[in-house]
Amino acid sequence: METLMAIFTIFTQPQLLLLVGVGTFAGIYIGAIPGLSVTMAVSILISFTFSWDVYPAISLMVGIYMGGVYGGSRTAILLNIPGAPSAIATAMDGYPMAQKGEAGQAIGVTTVMSFFGGLIGIFVLAVAAPFVADFAITFQPRDYMLLAVLGILLVGSLSSGSLVKGIFAGALGIAIGAVGRDPLTFTERFTFDLRLMEGGISFIAVMIGMFGVSEALQQLQNVNMKAVRQKIDRIMPSFGTVKKYLPLSLQTSSIGVIIGALPGTGGDIAALMAYDHAKRITKKPKVPFGKGAMEGLVAPETANNAAVGGAFIPMMTLGIPGDAVTAIMIGALFIHGLNPGPMLMVDQPDMFWFIVGALLMANVFMLIFGLTGIKIFTKIVEMPRSVIIPLILLLSIVGAYAVNNSITDVYWMLGFGVFGYFMRHYGYPLGPVILGVILSRLLDDNWRRAIISEREDLGSFFEGIITSPLSLTLFIAVILIFVSQTSIWTFAKNRLFGKAS
Amino acid sequence: MSRKLISALVALGLSATVATAQEYPTKEIQGIIQWGAGGSTDTVMRSVTPHAEEALGGTVVMQNMTGAVGAIALNYVVDADADGYTVLMGAENPMLYKVMGLGDEDYSAFTPINILARGTAMLVANNAAPFDDYAGMLAYIAENPGELKLGATGPGGLPSVITAMMNTVEGELDVISVPYDGDGPALTALQGGAIDVMPAVLGAAIEGIRAGNMKPILIFDTETNATLPEVQIATDANAAYATYLPWGPFFGVFAKNGTPDEVINALTAAYATAAENKDFIDLMAGRGFTMMNISGDEANAFLTKWQQGTAWLLDDAGLTQASPEEFGIARPAN
Repeated sequence: METLMAIFTIFTQPQLLLLVGVGTFAGIYIGAIPGLSVTMAVSILISFTFSWDVYPAISLMVGIYMGGVYGGSRTAILLNIPGAPSAIATAMDGYPMAQKGEAGQAIGVTTVMSFFGGLIGIFVLAVAAPFVADFAITFQPRDYMLLAVLGILLVGSLSSGSLVKGIFAGALGIAIGAVGRDPLTFTERFTFDLRLMEGGISFIAVMIGMFGVSEALQQLQNVNMKAVRQKIDRIMPSFGTVKKYLPLSLQTSSIGVIIGALPGTGGDIAALMAYDHAKRITKKPKVPFGKGAMEGLVAPETANNAAVGGAFIPMMTLGIPGDAVTAIMIGALFIHGLNPGPMLMVDQPDMFWFIVGALLMANVFMLIFGLTGIKIFTKIVEMPRSVIIPLILLLSIVGAYAVNNSITDVYWMLGFGVFGYFMRHYGYPLGPVILGVILSRLLDDNWRRAIISEREDLGSFFEGIITSPLSLTLFIAVILIFVSQTSIWTFAKNRLFGKAS
Repeated sequence: MSRKLISALVALGLSATVATAQEYPTKEIQGIIQWGAGGSTDTVMRSVTPHAEEALGGTVVMQNMTGAVGAIALNYVVDADADGYTVLMGAENPMLYKVMGLGDEDYSAFTPINILARGTAMLVANNAAPFDDYAGMLAYIAENPGELKLGATGPGGLPSVITAMMNTVEGELDVISVPYDGDGPALTALQGGAIDVMPAVLGAAIEGIRAGNMKPILIFDTETNATLPEVQIATDANAAYATYLPWGPFFGVFAKNGTPDEVINALTAAYATAAENKDFIDLMAGRGFTMMNISGDEANAFLTKWQQGTAWLLDDAGLTQASPEEFGIARPAN
């Protein structure tokens, strides 16, 4: 009971409360700037907070993490540049909303739903951490591979228009993700013996180019068009709206927690999977997906904030990071003289409850800071195109450079921007490219691990899938989703149910 | 008015001259960390550097630059000016770049400022593995050829060296080598049962062992380990290991060759002081690292010996892209 009281430590010390607040505020704006990632901010903080006590240091980091995951949605909605990879799915329906003059409403819903998702993530962390961690650890390489295949099938829901073009874009993304030294054998792939290709192509550079620069180029075509007036009367979503999306947000939050808790997958994949889930279960959206559907905002935003709580689950119970940010926090705990690992919960249970409390507080601050200043932000979309286009380009260049302090990344980014512009022009969707890049490594590495583990014997590989309940479930899901996207399904459905009705 | 302006300018000029005449460092030093944030190299460097900053009276801005097994970071520092304002904070990997075909440069292009500490390698097994010690593991491999899944981290990584060592000492072991991105993900997979045994650095495995999530099998050292005294050591299991041990990954701070002597001396003195800091020593001991704190000729001798032993071990195991001979790496005398 006494250790449980550590959850309130944060509330009793104004200094810690202030640090969480400052962290969350900073996180929102760091997250909003493309290329400036939460991971980067937290790793800089490690040196900065070296001489502090461990509680203040963790407070600041937790705040930045929570705020940053949410902040990525800002630029995604307003400028179509996802501030962070986890906001890619948000851009797909958020930006169309802004173009219709509903940016304020989009940000409002995003904020409230992020808060809701965050809350679910924290709740699961607090009550079920050991169970979720035990479940997450049972994922074998073949399960990760099936998960990646499941992700690849999202191509269907991310491509508006031609599915063939979507598949082409997805395959291109997978190929882009494979460039560089293969991490398992260090063999060079698609590098053409160029040293600059050895490190691979920065995923963030591809993302910023494809979304940001191609958008700027697109807008150049109608520079003189008047910007849409933004409606700013309805920012706070009504209780009815929140209630309407409650079942969906509960489902997508669960997706977020699980994907976040799996070591090796994080908020970006969680958000995309949640988006796909929303698209699949929403039979009649008021506005079609990709044109500004509210469901398309609710799903990814609840999922990526729920993934924050999820990522802490394996970190706190097993000492295994759930994502890059928690990996750095483990390093921070170590530098502060703690031994992060499975024994942390036994040796220092108060640390666990303190983090739960800090996360809770950061979530509240996120809601407060998120709902203020929306009116000023929506003005960005009302700016004349001749101002906003250079702004997008500038942000994109700074963002691409900031990731690795590398000018090569800027060239990649610009190259992919121009390429993305032509892809749009010829009706190729850009979402699947990013999806392919994100999933490339997950798919490639785990397929190879799985098949190497079975001595490259396909027979025993499938035997493994069928005998493991987890793999079998995933495998059946893959098949069902795949079949449901083909014409055989529609045909069979008509034959079976068509006659009955 | 104008007189005031002139005097201000003169004052500014004077202070600028004073600044240039000041001793190293006169500006921020850039510390390039070869591995990602949160990893072993990162934590070691971020723990020691604040103490070194204090001793040096300057600021070291640390930055993680990952990719190509650390070669991106190494090349970045090689391409920078040899003025001591860009230093490399790295691990053992560059010593194998040449033979593994990962690059044309290694630490021979650098002056070691300080080799801070050395890690100890060990074997850990999944709790469900049907053996509890090294002899049991060998017997299991002999009875079930091609069954045991051994974790790996790619050619040149610690597991590949340990596996090569085991194959040389015990004869070819028929196991499946499953590659992971690093020892962290591999140890996670070990706990989930995706692999059975993992050669890992002691510091990475210690917390898992303490919690009873994995079992220790063998420690690759010549002396009993203070942190895990009850675990068998390699030379007790097979005396032939003595040829290659002690061996282990290490962490060091390096400046490019051609850096002025006074700068090298200032940095060396600062890091030597920092490595004696009690907090840092405690931190390293807690993680099972062996403190080294060596520089100059002593560090160079260590690097040469490490490179010779490891490069030839990997070459004999057929894992290298090019023979160590091509780069003038002599075969160690047994």
